[in-house]
Amino acid sequence: MSFSWPRAKAVFQKDFLDLRKNKALLWSMLALPALLVVAPALVVFAYIYKPDDPNLTTMAQYFDVRVNPEDAARFLIDKVLIDWFAVYLIMPVFVPILISSHAVAGEKEKRTLEPLLASPVTPLELLIGKSLASLVPSFIICVLAFAGMSVVVDLVAWNTVKGPLLPNAMWMFGVFVVAPLFAFFGNGVSVVISARVNDSRLAQQLSGLFVLPLIGLAGGQFAGWLKAGVAYYALLGAFVLLLDFGLIVAARRLFDRERMMGR
Amino acid sequence: MSLQVRGLFRRFGNRTAVEGLTFDVAPGEVFGLLGPNGAGKTTTVRMLTGLITPTGGEAVVCGEKIPLIDEGSALRRKVGLLTEQPGLYDRLSARENLQFFIRLNELDEKTAWARCLRYLKRFGLDGREDEAVGTYSKGMRQKLAIVRTLVHEPQVLFLDEPTSGLDPESARTVRDAVAELATEGRTLVLCSHNLGEVERLCTRVAVIKNRLRTVASLKDLRKQGTALDIRVDADAGRFTAALAALPFQPSAMHEGSVLKVMLTADDQAPAVVECLVRAGARVFQVTTAARPLEEAYLELVREGDG
Repeated sequence: MSFSWPRAKAVFQKDFLDLRKNKALLWSMLALPALLVVAPALVVFAYIYKPDDPNLTTMAQYFDVRVNPEDAARFLIDKVLIDWFAVYLIMPVFVPILISSHAVAGEKEKRTLEPLLASPVTPLELLIGKSLASLVPSFIICVLAFAGMSVVVDLVAWNTVKGPLLPNAMWMFGVFVVAPLFAFFGNGVSVVISARVNDSRLAQQLSGLFVLPLIGLAGGQFAGWLKAGVAYYALLGAFVLLLDFGLIVAARRLFDRERMMGR
Repeated sequence: MSLQVRGLFRRFGNRTAVEGLTFDVAPGEVFGLLGPNGAGKTTTVRMLTGLITPTGGEAVVCGEKIPLIDEGSALRRKVGLLTEQPGLYDRLSARENLQFFIRLNELDEKTAWARCLRYLKRFGLDGREDEAVGTYSKGMRQKLAIVRTLVHEPQVLFLDEPTSGLDPESARTVRDAVAELATEGRTLVLCSHNLGEVERLCTRVAVIKNRLRTVASLKDLRKQGTALDIRVDADAGRFTAALAALPFQPSAMHEGSVLKVMLTADDQAPAVVECLVRAGARVFQVTTAARPLEEAYLELVREGDG
């Protein structure tokens, strides 16, 4: 089977250019990172604003009875920064879903798929070009959001904790190892669904359902039912890696000229 | 031959979209695939451009065998497909749209872009190549889509309903653009149900309606029968019913005092005139005329129907 990198690159460049010109999609993509930057900073601020508030001790001791009242604020800050990573993971799943559903189902919706498939590009080149056009911006957005979050959180907490809270080892591992695996998952889900439906919004909505387990996990962590940490996130990453392999096989099978033409 | 099609057919589940396709198209020929909506024209074009695999039969397009034995990139470098919808990226400019297809065809960008500029100028789109395609009129978009299909200088160009959904003015500009291409010696396969378009552009046609009904030159198609123009002294519509009594039951159209009667053989003419006279018509003039393409076409597509 022949594979031409220049053709895959052409698909990537076209989709990337189209994304840059799609203002509505860009704004909707930026809303989530903005929330992810602001929300943890506000929570950290709430904890350091009145560090000796007895309610903080009550909250901290709900999660761990051994926490001393004077350590309660710091305990809660550390906990929220660990748990927040589960919320952050929504972004590398959701952003590729937004992009890929436009890039694949959108081609059908706008009737651009047939001329594209009538060109020498192969389905594999199309799959790789489109996936890159979704994964590269997602990765950039995730790293920028993390950088922004680190700056804002550190600015808020610096006077109290006398040093940087972020980046730390768990977040670095999470952002550069676990998040790309989740981005791959979001892209794979969206590509597979987009190959089966003709409407980009339907593809987005169906793919969006796959974010729900993440919200459930984050909820479980915040409620204290799940104890998160590096090992926990590494385990999640390993599980998603397995799903990624399954999605690659499914996407390869569904990204077939005739299957796509037939729908 | 640019195209050799032998017994090509395609089924979708239990439904046969098209069957029994056997025809040849010579290099430089403008060949029409004529048939009503849902006749299988688009399916035929998709099979011949390697987009879908035939259920049976075979074809050779520009030396490439169908069914394809590989991804079909070689075939797609030799053919161009203009789809019914222009299928352009609205947010991108004409230049960006064309450059994308130049890259997909792995062409030298400078040479291919110079060629595109020539076509853009020829179709009156020059000077607007950096505007977003979303701002173009329908006719301009379809002309740009034609330029896109020419990016790689295909040997055979498939045009699937190129004027469908366009207003008369836009349709005319697109038809003129296609007519220009026909003068270049390129092989064109035009799918249409627009008889005027086919009459103007094609030399030979295949009439299909889920199966091949005929392959003939337009001249031969019209020759399959004669038309009589009969001028009477009253509203010609009064006498059409009388013709039903004739054993060969000719079809007839009327306009004012002129009745156009379709015959399958020249020796049916005296019986038609006699029948009209018996029905009370005062016949002033009888002339034989070429059978309109529409009649021949309708007769072919009705053959074997319900």
